Amino acid sequence: MDEPTVYLEKLSCFSRMLRLEGLPVSPKETADAAQILTHLGFQSRERVKTALRTVFAKSREEQLAFDRTFDSFFIPEEAMRQQAKQQQEREMQMAQARREAEQNLQVNGQSLGLNQSQLDTYASMPEEQRQRLRNFMDRYRDSAERNPDLYGNFIHSVFAKTLLEQQMRMEDAALGCAAVDPELGLLYRDISQFKDTEIPKAISIIQTVSRQINGELTARRARGGHSGKLDFRRTIRRGLETGGSFYRLHYRKKRNRRKKLVLLCDVSGSMMQFSEFALRFIQSLNQVSESSRVFLFSEELFEADPFSLQNMDAFRSYVRQCGIYGKGTNLGSALEQLCAKRPAVLGSAATLIILSDTKTVDQNRAVAALMEAKRQSGRVLWLNPIPESHWQHIRSVQTFSSLCAMASCNTLQSLAAACRRITL
Amino acid sequence: MNLDELKKKMDEAHYIYDDTLATVLFVALQLGRPLLIEGAAGVGKTEIAKVMASSLDRELVRLQCYEGLDESKALYEWNYQKQLLSIQVNMGSRDSDELTKSLFSDDYLLERPLLKSIRSEKPVVLLIDEIDKADEEFEAFLLELLSEMQVSIPEIGTIQAKTLPFVVLTSNRARPLSEALRRRCAYLYIEYPDMEKELAILRAKLPHVDDRLCAQVALAVQKLRSNESILKKPSIAETLDWAAALDALGIRELTPDALRQTAGFVLKNSEDFAALEQTQAEEHTCHCGGCEGHSHG
Repeated sequence: MDEPTVYLEKLSCFSRMLRLEGLPVSPKETADAAQILTHLGFQSRERVKTALRTVFAKSREEQLAFDRTFDSFFIPEEAMRQQAKQQQEREMQMAQARREAEQNLQVNGQSLGLNQSQLDTYASMPEEQRQRLRNFMDRYRDSAERNPDLYGNFIHSVFAKTLLEQQMRMEDAALGCAAVDPELGLLYRDISQFKDTEIPKAISIIQTVSRQINGELTARRARGGHSGKLDFRRTIRRGLETGGSFYRLHYRKKRNRRKKLVLLCDVSGSMMQFSEFALRFIQSLNQVSESSRVFLFSEELFEADPFSLQNMDAFRSYVRQCGIYGKGTNLGSALEQLCAKRPAVLGSAATLIILSDTKTVDQNRAVAALMEAKRQSGRVLWLNPIPESHWQHIRSVQTFSSLCAMASCNTLQSLAAACRRITL
Repeated sequence: MNLDELKKKMDEAHYIYDDTLATVLFVALQLGRPLLIEGAAGVGKTEIAKVMASSLDRELVRLQCYEGLDESKALYEWNYQKQLLSIQVNMGSRDSDELTKSLFSDDYLLERPLLKSIRSEKPVVLLIDEIDKADEEFEAFLLELLSEMQVSIPEIGTIQAKTLPFVVLTSNRARPLSEALRRRCAYLYIEYPDMEKELAILRAKLPHVDDRLCAQVALAVQKLRSNESILKKPSIAETLDWAAALDALGIRELTPDALRQTAGFVLKNSEDFAALEQTQAEEHTCHCGGCEGHSHG
């Protein structure tokens, strides 16, 4: 790095790159960076990187984005050429694979109607999986010729589902921050992908984030203004400091009205891990609710014993003892039982939180029961472990999200965001 | 001051640092920006401000933040008692306008840390500790000070800093700080030190303690921190306390028994003790014939 002027010109380019990466870089920061680089010189790449990181990145998350951008921006010319060449080759291979995919995936001489991203996903799949899909298509080829509408749609839907699952796996794998920062990696990774060894770390992250949310709520309440009623005792006591003159008046604080939470948790096989994490999160928000009741359901409804929610092992063994583990999901029946409970569990002061992936038998019954639960409770919030980007492909999610507020919470980060919504 | 001079000063203060930390401190100092330091509790955030004060030969002015901290505790307060007394004494003897004016002068102003730091004739190091514990209003109030190095007092007007303090803000990330505050600061995230750095700290701070014991303590602390079941990770200060305590007790070897007896210096809750005992029990049940991968103290 011998020519400072060249690199100062590049600096403004780099600032623009950082903005594209989502870092709010102001001209002042660019000027600061230029100033510090003229002091430090350009001899040491690491030193330049540290100095620029100090100026541009203002949080740990931003530091990771900065490092990525810096490493891909300030690279030697030779390496840059090499990368460009590799990228060009990759693109050519991808285009070739896409053309092959379009040729291979035809029924009755017509294309399957997959969109660009689905074709890309297919092209990037391992050959073994692609072969499996082609075999499936060959098996139904004769049927599709006899009844093109019925079997054509069937083949398309199976392809779309398989490609969507593959896409989700690729997105999980592409998060990449786990290697750099395990804590951040866990925050952004799908909860259902957590390994057993990562669970204690995830629990400690939950504790940290719930402490943050509790802190925010305390602060919000503290500045929530006063009730308008004078606090005589405090006013007189503080008045003594100023010789008996009431220099400052003190008012009574507004009474905190915390929410009554009713949690309805799906504990069928696929939902178990997510429900455990979500329950732990919501329970640790002691600033949110004055009381909460937890109901677990699969085909039947059970009220959870609060002590069983203390740790993961106790929770799992409790669910197994109840006899609801490993069964199907019947949301309609669970909601009906909840609404029919006497004395009433729901009410205008209650917030009903449903933890479920919307997969249920008898959807019509579930819709009717949800409407009734919505009528009985003050507010209904649905926490869904399916990522929001996939909602458009799942009909049951579309149905339920049109009836009540739904938040995606497949990661600890989105779960925290959803929990902040509970506090509003 | 250039980077090498700063490093030399920190060496003189017996502070163990790496090149990254020295560069970040130099950048903040050179640009005159406040430095926001984040990291887990006990990684040495506050210590940086103390070392900078000692390295730059400046006074350290500390403001400890807490919920409910306001201007009167952080910036200034009028001395009401003295003002009332003055009114009583001077009642009827002087021009009332003059009296009112004199009541809001320096004589009746109680300086708090922020005002003290910007009115100081010599530049100081201002440590605003645990800013995440203060309310958001206080954060907003700090913006004027951090960006313009000035504060506004309604009765007096705007007070410009006579000398530029080196401001260090620390946060344990108990709550997210506002974007406005972050953007005004240079940023540093500190993690727990690695084995080599921790050992260097032990050697520098406790030169009288046996080197072998220091190495055993450093290794044990690294293992405790990497143990996922232990939720409250030992801080650097606790490591130093532990090594000093072992030395004071005449323990020369950190055996499993000695670890159990003195673990209270680094582990501060019963769940972590239970996790430690479980880990030790698992290590004892392993019959691998004294492999080196297992901790025996």
